[in-house]
Amino acid sequence: MHQRSLRTRLLVTFGLGSFVLSSLFASLTYFGVLSILINNQQSTDLKQSYENATLVRNTLSTNPSGLTATLNSIEKATNTQALVRTQGQWLSESSGAQPPEISAATISAADKGTVTEQTVRFANQDIFIVGLPIPSVHSEYFEVFSLSSLSNTLQTLLELLSLGTLAISVIGIVGGLWATRRVVKPLREVSEAAALIAQGQLDTRLSVNNADREVQQLSNSFNEMVAQLVERLDRDARFASDVSHELRSPLTTVVTTAAILQQHRADLSPAGQESLDLLTADLAIFQTLVEDLLEMARNDAGATPHVSENVAAIELVNQAARSAARRLGIEAPSIELDASVKNPHIVVDRRRFERVIANLLDNATRYAGGVVAIRVTCTEASFIVNVDDAGTGIAPDERSQVFERFFRGRIAHDRSSVRGTGLGLALVREHIVAFDGSIIVLESPEGGARLQISIPISSEEYA
Amino acid sequence: MPHILIVEDDDHIRSALRLMFESEGFEVDDAASGEVGIAMFTRMASDVAIVDIMLPGMTGFETCKQIREVSDCPIVIVSARDQTTDVVLGLESGADDYVTKPFIPEELLARVKAHLRRRPEKSTNSFTLGELTVIPDEGIVKKSDGSELHLTSTEFRLLTDLASMNGKVLSREDLLERVWGYDYFGDTRLVDVHMRRLRTKIEPDPANPTFLITVRGTGYKLVL
Repeated sequence: MHQRSLRTRLLVTFGLGSFVLSSLFASLTYFGVLSILINNQQSTDLKQSYENATLVRNTLSTNPSGLTATLNSIEKATNTQALVRTQGQWLSESSGAQPPEISAATISAADKGTVTEQTVRFANQDIFIVGLPIPSVHSEYFEVFSLSSLSNTLQTLLELLSLGTLAISVIGIVGGLWATRRVVKPLREVSEAAALIAQGQLDTRLSVNNADREVQQLSNSFNEMVAQLVERLDRDARFASDVSHELRSPLTTVVTTAAILQQHRADLSPAGQESLDLLTADLAIFQTLVEDLLEMARNDAGATPHVSENVAAIELVNQAARSAARRLGIEAPSIELDASVKNPHIVVDRRRFERVIANLLDNATRYAGGVVAIRVTCTEASFIVNVDDAGTGIAPDERSQVFERFFRGRIAHDRSSVRGTGLGLALVREHIVAFDGSIIVLESPEGGARLQISIPISSEEYA
Repeated sequence: MPHILIVEDDDHIRSALRLMFESEGFEVDDAASGEVGIAMFTRMASDVAIVDIMLPGMTGFETCKQIREVSDCPIVIVSARDQTTDVVLGLESGADDYVTKPFIPEELLARVKAHLRRRPEKSTNSFTLGELTVIPDEGIVKKSDGSELHLTSTEFRLLTDLASMNGKVLSREDLLERVWGYDYFGDTRLVDVHMRRLRTKIEPDPANPTFLITVRGTGYKLVL
């Protein structure tokens, strides 16, 4: 679904709202003023028509030949058009034909003795026509008023109101900008702080000096939440460290006494010797399991700081492989360098990197008949270590799962005598990810599994 | 018969360690606290000492310091704590080695034996470092006024091994193998802390070393 930003929505609401409201107000004003002005004008005009009609009647009854002069003086004084019709004949200086702007209905109404008023639009002008019967001289008096001055006034009003509407809309949008900034800013601050905390900056807090009470409450609650989260993390880390100590001490005793028993193996009966061998074998696994678990728990709790160093990668791989092989009691695997490998340096925690190599060798030895070779290659940006084993490979559907904690593949099930902790590869991936690297499972040229680590080459000292 | 002092407050671990070293032919003194351990050590100087960090009363760090005041014997810290700060503190208190619990018994034995076997590199001639004269045959370092500069056996071995390379670089791993005599599981912190301590003893300005040079990403070399 398309998600619009809160800010946009608020702005649109403010803009549209102020536009609609101000338009409504402007229209009401305009039409109200319009009707008042027209009414006033028309009643004034009507009154004037009556006066003029009286004047015409007096002229017609006393001095009919003076009518033209009277009409001229009326037109001159009032800036209107005055027309008189006597017994169906138009009396004016014009041709005597019916003036086109006066409709037949108006004429016949006046003829029948009714006062008529009519507003029409003629030749692009609003005009107001009044028709008055003058029965005493069998005539009708018509006066045509121009409403154009009124139209100009209304035009100006309309322009002013439109301008006002526009201005209010702009003010609405500006106000909306200000208001949304005020509302959205704390939201953005919260989301930025949350992102920082997710990245591990646990000392991130929101400022509580905000003028708005709601925002201040939000900040306070947020800060409280983070404080509790930090406390919980600390507690977890402490717990991991406590558990670590409590587990290590008895395990040390057990492992040491088992070793002493091994020294006196010859004194034991065959059943005792067999039991001791079982005990020793599983103790070794138990010890590894405890160490892996503790390391993992501390990783989860963020309790063990990474000691990042810029190191010569080839030397580190060599040393780690030699050291791990000696611990595992296997021959040191051959390390084959690709032509692309010069003297790359990588930024890693040595102890953890050595742990990675050791776990990969251990895994290959335990489940896949040993390591064929460690093959090292480089790309522009990455240092790549391939650990190829002598097994039958890992099925594609299991390749991404082997790094899950306590994952047991089909091979492990088939070979139930082989025991592992199920944490080795999971730990490998956690360490590699901490180096900003990645690990994937591929197939080796010999058909076995290839565990491929790539770690970014540090730009400096790459020669 | 080598004599070993074990300072460890956990009864079970102490007994197990005692049994292990006894069956390897060691003569064992054990103590449940630093105070008792120091008293035993002053009565009879051991050839090697194993010290736990978390002890009741005097800490393992303090115990190491007090042993170091009277003896150059190898001290191995055995602790459940493996944070770098603990390792560094332990080594700076004068310990030569640091093993985390639960250790592999064979490895602890191998390390202790390696420390006992250690002798100065044979055919290194005397050499000078500024005002100091190092005499490997006698295992001593003389100042210009003829008095002796005190180095532990680990420090002495580090110095003579680097000197024997004629200015070539030794990696931390090489140094671990040569000086500690056992292929460690990568705890190169041992080398770094010892180098730092050695610098404070032999360099005129330890912050800007002129003899013991760190080669970034690789290791150390000694410039004569």
